[in-house]
Amino acid sequence: MIDFLLEIGFEEFPPRLLRPAAEDLTKRIQALLKEKKVFFRSIRTIYTPRRMGTIVLGLSRRQKSQVIEIQGPPKRFAYDEKGKPTEKMIGFMKTNNLKASEIICKRTKKGDYVCGKTEIAGATTESILRSNIPLIIRGLEFEKTMVWNEGKVRFPRPIRWIIALLDRKPLRFDYAGVQANRYSWPNQHFSFKPIRLEKPREYMNFLRHGGVIVDPNERKKIIMTRIKQAADKSKGKSVYSDDMIEEINCTTEYPEVVTGTFDEHYMTLPREVLMTVLRAHGNVIWIRDTNEYIYVFSAKKKALQNVKTGYERVIESRLNDAYFYYQNDMKNGLQNMLMQTKNMTWLEGLGSLYQKSLRLQNFSDVYRAVPGVDLDVLKRAALLCKADLLSEMVREKEFTSLQGIMGGYYALASGEDEAVASAIGEHYLPRYVGDSVPRSLNGALLSIADKLDGVVGAYLSGNRPSGSYDPFAVRRNGYGVINLLDIFGIELSLFEAGTKILELHTKRLDGGVLREFFDERMTRYLQDNGYRYDEIKAVLATWNGNVPDTKKRCDALKSFRGSREFVKLVIGQKRVRNILKNLRTAGVVDGALVREPAEKALVHVREKVKPNLEAMIERENYAEVLKMLLEMRPAIDKFFDDVLVMCDDEKLRANRLAIVSSINDLFSQYADFSQIVIEGEKTQR
Amino acid sequence: MKKVHTFENVIINLKHFWQKRGCLIFEPYNSEVGAGTFNPATFLRILDRKPWNVCYLEISKRPRDGRYAKNPLRFQQFYQCQVIMKPSPSDIQQIYLESLEGLGVKLKEHEVRFVEDDWESPTLGAWGMGWEVWLDGLEVTQFTYFQQAGGMDLQIVPVEITYGLERITMILQGVSSVFDVKWNNTLTWGDVYRLSEIEYSKYNFESAPTDMLSTLFETYEKEAKRLFDEGLVYPGYDHTIKCSHMFNLLEARGAISISERAKYIGRVRALANQAALLYLNKENEQAGISND
Repeated sequence: MIDFLLEIGFEEFPPRLLRPAAEDLTKRIQALLKEKKVFFRSIRTIYTPRRMGTIVLGLSRRQKSQVIEIQGPPKRFAYDEKGKPTEKMIGFMKTNNLKASEIICKRTKKGDYVCGKTEIAGATTESILRSNIPLIIRGLEFEKTMVWNEGKVRFPRPIRWIIALLDRKPLRFDYAGVQANRYSWPNQHFSFKPIRLEKPREYMNFLRHGGVIVDPNERKKIIMTRIKQAADKSKGKSVYSDDMIEEINCTTEYPEVVTGTFDEHYMTLPREVLMTVLRAHGNVIWIRDTNEYIYVFSAKKKALQNVKTGYERVIESRLNDAYFYYQNDMKNGLQNMLMQTKNMTWLEGLGSLYQKSLRLQNFSDVYRAVPGVDLDVLKRAALLCKADLLSEMVREKEFTSLQGIMGGYYALASGEDEAVASAIGEHYLPRYVGDSVPRSLNGALLSIADKLDGVVGAYLSGNRPSGSYDPFAVRRNGYGVINLLDIFGIELSLFEAGTKILELHTKRLDGGVLREFFDERMTRYLQDNGYRYDEIKAVLATWNGNVPDTKKRCDALKSFRGSREFVKLVIGQKRVRNILKNLRTAGVVDGALVREPAEKALVHVREKVKPNLEAMIERENYAEVLKMLLEMRPAIDKFFDDVLVMCDDEKLRANRLAIVSSINDLFSQYADFSQIVIEGEKTQR
Repeated sequence: MKKVHTFENVIINLKHFWQKRGCLIFEPYNSEVGAGTFNPATFLRILDRKPWNVCYLEISKRPRDGRYAKNPLRFQQFYQCQVIMKPSPSDIQQIYLESLEGLGVKLKEHEVRFVEDDWESPTLGAWGMGWEVWLDGLEVTQFTYFQQAGGMDLQIVPVEITYGLERITMILQGVSSVFDVKWNNTLTWGDVYRLSEIEYSKYNFESAPTDMLSTLFETYEKEAKRLFDEGLVYPGYDHTIKCSHMFNLLEARGAISISERAKYIGRVRALANQAALLYLNKENEQAGISND
């Protein structure tokens, strides 16, 4: 049994990419060993910002040997009457390098054959690793890579050393201009001298002495414990997320913590400002509601005092800036900022930011019928929501992410209603897929208006998305709008809302452009919510832009899909649709021309179903609607079986097409079921 | 006896350090630049295949960053020490850390952190991958492996190390404002630059005549194009740099809207790309490499 250590050393790796890369490396090595049938006892991943690797313990020296059988000639041709091998047999043994002891006889259906049974010794683990490790490293995939030397190998950061140590022996190979060897490098704060390893088992301890905890799990434990100890000491609770801990783990080799403080008067700053300042300085964790924070660093403990002083100086300077901006903004007041929005262009050719605010205000009228809306609050918030873009705070690059949030604070300070302030504060939410949504209905309505105006504005100013080009995040905003309409159950037609915004811009867009956009976004949204593509296509073919209603239709369709009748329903509309394929417009059904019994029956059914169906649609009882549509199937079938639609009599033909079309109209009030893909459909036809 | 790390000594020490590592010691450019990268000793010299190791002080002009001498860390002008090594040595990170130790930063007593930061200069059509280097939390260096410049993939990857000299000295001297940094044993940075900072802030934000600046931009742009047409790289590139500075001033004056901004940047980049192409053609011609 032998051990193997692979360590790839590099300059500081992008933290986000580190863990997935290291885990991928181990996975690939594990797969290799499995494929090559090399036994091992345990395998583990290590990584720090400056290295990643894999430790395999208890490896066998060779891959498992293989027994193979080589079929030779039929027995009767292999030996002569005296039992001596024939020429043929000797040739067989020679070409396959077989000894007499390896020959057996095998009985098959076609008679007895001679067979060479031989054991092939496995390749050495050493040769397998030496030839495959470089390929594995090359095979790692990253979203962003660079070149750094003439070899032009690509990797996220320059590779500076490689250890490939099989027990006491370094595997010799070159990669990216580096020769694999037995030397590792310590934490640079500890020493610049390489660490020589005799065997893999020395790795963890030797590196620990060099200021490197190579095991990410151990490091994480240390980080968590130290943070907790520091927080306990200051009698507060630290604020951090799992993502932050992971990021800290990927940026430290030897975690130490220090507690820093800032002057108490900064506590009057909004908590979001404090957190933004602290977060911008790397591994800084705020101890909630205190003027203290914990910083996790990766140097010698001796550096503690300098690190503390340094961080306090930098954070003090940033808080000082923030405090200065905040004071000025409070003095200036939201009303003044609003006036300044008159001189600020929103988008070229689309007026000022102030005009945008007025537009959002006017747009709010479409929400009149939304239950729970407070139009006064909403209109006030709409007018003020962009004013903070003129505040000193939000204009500063570091604090741009606080847009809206600052507006909320400044609104409160200017004596605005609390509901107005919170609507302003939340009107950018959700900023991305999966972000939190506004808590108040007014905030959600304002967010919808703002995002829709952004979408329309981008189209009007020639910035519509295409491919990866989407400078105004139009797609994300469109998705956010749909998300909010769904979550808050707001029955607003996107199409009408789009038209209304265009009206307020007093501008036009090529017909269908916005419709196409909403169709695509809604498709995506519904797909993300687990509906099948053909269901979505069927429902969206006839949707009216109402998001919650459309989702209910999808729901009913989805649960109906499991039933046996489902196919019947779909085929029903498919038959109807097929015959109407080339029809431009259908006329009105003329009762006098309805002659055949099957014709009469279908017309009768339609008339009976129509008012009930519409009542059910009104009540959004879509399960019931589906049932009704299904009830029409026998009449439809009978009609197609008994009546020739495409008859020679022109008048009769037109009337029959009108009947079919009126049936289709009924279906279409729900969806275009002919879009549904039925399994085995083609063979049925 | 405690050694005083004066500002001028830091400059001299760094130049000396890199001279010993084989760098040619160059001087700042004779025209306003936003960063040492604009100096032809970087922008043009990194394009070709010839080795090029250089170290120089650059006076970086950032009109928008002026604060009327009221912010301890932000000014409209600061000193950079710019190092280019092409090709980049494989132990360059360690050499850099040794340069900090050489200045008196003992690594056992500080934290040096390489924070992922992929640098980009849209006006130069240049970008690279690397880090901001934080010394006890303060950004003191930008460390970049260039990948592209003038819109072209670089044939040999250079490393660019740009030190913020005022900030490093601040830490070495243990003061919390750059204005208090001792330049030599009698004068501070503030003694030398305070008035200049106040006046330039006033000029950049309030007084610079925008009409004149945009006229100058147009004039310099035209001249750069004419010079490139004549095949004159260096004079043409000089006027490209001037365009860039006019743009920075216009921006500080708030005279450029967001969409105009992109257009201005595009115009400067077009000139920079032209300079790069022309330079490379000439270099290749000399080296007898064909350009097809």
